[in-house]
Amino acid sequence: MKKIVKTTAAAAMIGLLALAVAGCGGGVDKKQAAKDTFKFGMTNFDDSLEPTENYFGWSVMRYGLGECLSKFDKQMKTVPCLAESWKVSDDKLTWTFKIRDNVVYSNGNKVTGEAAKKSIERTFAKSARAKAIFEYESITSDGQNVIIKTKVPVATLPGMLGDPLFIIIDTSVTDRDYAKQGPICTGPYMVKSYSKEKTLMEANPHYWGGAVPFKNLELNSINDTTTRAMALQSGEIDAAVNIAFGDLQLFQDKKKFHISEIGSLRDVLARINVREGGPLSDLRVRQALVSSLDRETYANVLLKGTFIAGGPYLPPSVDYGFDEIKKLDKNTYNVERAKKLLEEAGWKDINGDGILDKDGQNLELDFVYYSGRAELPLYAEATQSDAGKVGFKINLKNVDYNTIDGMGQRGEYDLMISNVLTMQAGDPEVFMNMYTRTNIDSSNPQNGGGYSNPKYDALGDQLIKEFDYAKRRELVIEMEKIAIEDIPNFVFGYPKTNMVSNLSITGAEILPCDYYWITTDIKPAGAK
Amino acid sequence: MQTIIKGLKTNRAFALFSGLVVLLLLIAIIAPVISPYNPLETIMKNAYLPPSAEHLFGTDKLGRDNFSRILYGARYSISSVLMLVASIFVVGTTLGILAGYFGGKLDIVIMRLSDMMISFPGMILAIAVAGVLGGSLLNAIIALTVVSWTKYARLARSMVLKIKKHDFVEAAVVNGGKAAHILWTHIVPNILPLMVITAASDIGAMMMEMAGLSFLGFGSQPPAPEWGLMLNEGRQQMQTAPWLMIFPGLAIFITVAIFNLWGDALRDVLDPRQEN
Repeated sequence: MKKIVKTTAAAAMIGLLALAVAGCGGGVDKKQAAKDTFKFGMTNFDDSLEPTENYFGWSVMRYGLGECLSKFDKQMKTVPCLAESWKVSDDKLTWTFKIRDNVVYSNGNKVTGEAAKKSIERTFAKSARAKAIFEYESITSDGQNVIIKTKVPVATLPGMLGDPLFIIIDTSVTDRDYAKQGPICTGPYMVKSYSKEKTLMEANPHYWGGAVPFKNLELNSINDTTTRAMALQSGEIDAAVNIAFGDLQLFQDKKKFHISEIGSLRDVLARINVREGGPLSDLRVRQALVSSLDRETYANVLLKGTFIAGGPYLPPSVDYGFDEIKKLDKNTYNVERAKKLLEEAGWKDINGDGILDKDGQNLELDFVYYSGRAELPLYAEATQSDAGKVGFKINLKNVDYNTIDGMGQRGEYDLMISNVLTMQAGDPEVFMNMYTRTNIDSSNPQNGGGYSNPKYDALGDQLIKEFDYAKRRELVIEMEKIAIEDIPNFVFGYPKTNMVSNLSITGAEILPCDYYWITTDIKPAGAK
Repeated sequence: MQTIIKGLKTNRAFALFSGLVVLLLLIAIIAPVISPYNPLETIMKNAYLPPSAEHLFGTDKLGRDNFSRILYGARYSISSVLMLVASIFVVGTTLGILAGYFGGKLDIVIMRLSDMMISFPGMILAIAVAGVLGGSLLNAIIALTVVSWTKYARLARSMVLKIKKHDFVEAAVVNGGKAAHILWTHIVPNILPLMVITAASDIGAMMMEMAGLSFLGFGSQPPAPEWGLMLNEGRQQMQTAPWLMIFPGLAIFITVAIFNLWGDALRDVLDPRQEN
């Protein structure tokens, strides 16, 4: 009797499993007559559409809802958007932005100089971050013109106003919950319903830039990379951003998918703690560490070519002399050089445990990382293994992403890896200073590693004041040369970023600037 | 002990599963001898190779041999789970016996503590504890001990309460036996078989929980070849390098199944009240 029960139960279980498996497969080929809904899979960190809160403006812009006075093109140059042109006075303090005559909000209200002024003032009133970007003396309006007077010359002001924090919204609308419904903006789409998991958008009937390609958008938050790839494979979504390195090869069939991949503006940056007393205060040890790492193989084999091997501070996707500086990098993969440098620095394996030591201290480094981005644990483990081969002992510390910032500022690491944006407002100034400029009494809190180089600081000071692009570029390149020589921090690699779409749509291209996903270039296949 | 030897002779299922358990332990012990490669040796140019004659289970994301890692993983997984079960067994049983035998305030304190632990979902509490302590194999063992000892305490206490009423215990008390003596010679031997059975049949479940914590990043840390951790590492390559999930998954499945079946068989042998 018992046996029969067992057999029946087993059979039932197998049946149920089969049913469950079958349930996962279906629903691939549902061709619609006319495609008027675009389904998009993405990562998502926001829980509000209030553009001045946190970094939520990024989502407002990514969703095709909000636009700024300026935007960034494929070369990351600042180009006109809502403003058709701008000029700066001779004393470099007064900027005049002329807003296009035909721009209206999605409720039909015209965007005048006054409306833009109020929107920018609102941003300053609500966001502390705005003041960190620039400070203004006064904002006035005159017809379609917004006139911004700054306290000190700000060379990159037009680019700064392209930051999603300065999305131009209709401040005359007061009966809306911006967090839940989104502000009234000028973009091609407007919010139908919003939640963290799924946002529905519809075409903006008043869009100033011409016809809007889709009637509806369905924006799905799928933060797990594997799930996102599977959703795209099964046709649940039409396109997705940031398909992970492990999955990208699933979409190589050109008859089914289109991959748009470019070098991003990001670095996988390792911050180094160079304070006295730590082994990495010695330049030779830093050189040895970097030389021991086979960054080419990490990028090409471990990450399957979705990264570019690291070198200079700024990625090859921007025009800051990448090749020239890369040639100066003495610390490309060379195990023998690494061993020699460590020997010169006085590190020897006295007790024979495979770890070098000096004055009774092991050559031990705490490597802090987080696992929110798939490449970081991989880089950390690869470092542990490769640096281990020349006698380092790397202790991996996997921490929560939210604690990274504090640990970085307090210098609680020997090595700390994170994925950082190098271009803010279309310009590398902020990044070049952030982790490398001398930190005196928290004047530059992000430099928790204690690096200080007067020559670097002087170049940074000049950079802040310089208006001429060609000269700025030279200054940045000089700073990069110091960085590659002196290794205050180093770059593991530069991620490529991608958008993968199926062939029911066209024009789904990833842009170098992280702010833009949904654009009017994304159209149904066959549409003109 | 004699019952176990007799069981091995008479109960074929028990003999079979005991053999398999010994085989597992043997693999764990001689892993260094039978592994074709060093499980920590990375040859990064060989990353993500599919299974072949050279690498039976393929290679992982750093070009390490997956087969060797799984063999070594048996050491990590089995030794850690045995340590875990032992610590839960000792802590839980001791507290349960003390609460049951002495009663009074001690009983109230221990049992209310146990009620508190039981009112949280176990895995979530374990994640919280492991999260606070920081991820490591030892901390995972501590975390799971903290959330799992209550079952043993309650079981031991209820049995002690029952045995305490028996004439032979009361006789020992009347004869002036000290508490320690009575506990050791009269109480513990009587509850031990059932506690051992419980512990044996828990090995499988505990192994799953350990693997779960490691999967979530709260247990073993890289580069340790622990099965749960390997599963998580393989997850990102689920479609492109499925061998990185299949083999650790199979290893966990087989080991858990063997220990569960062995636990069941052991109960049949040790517990006279159970019919075969």
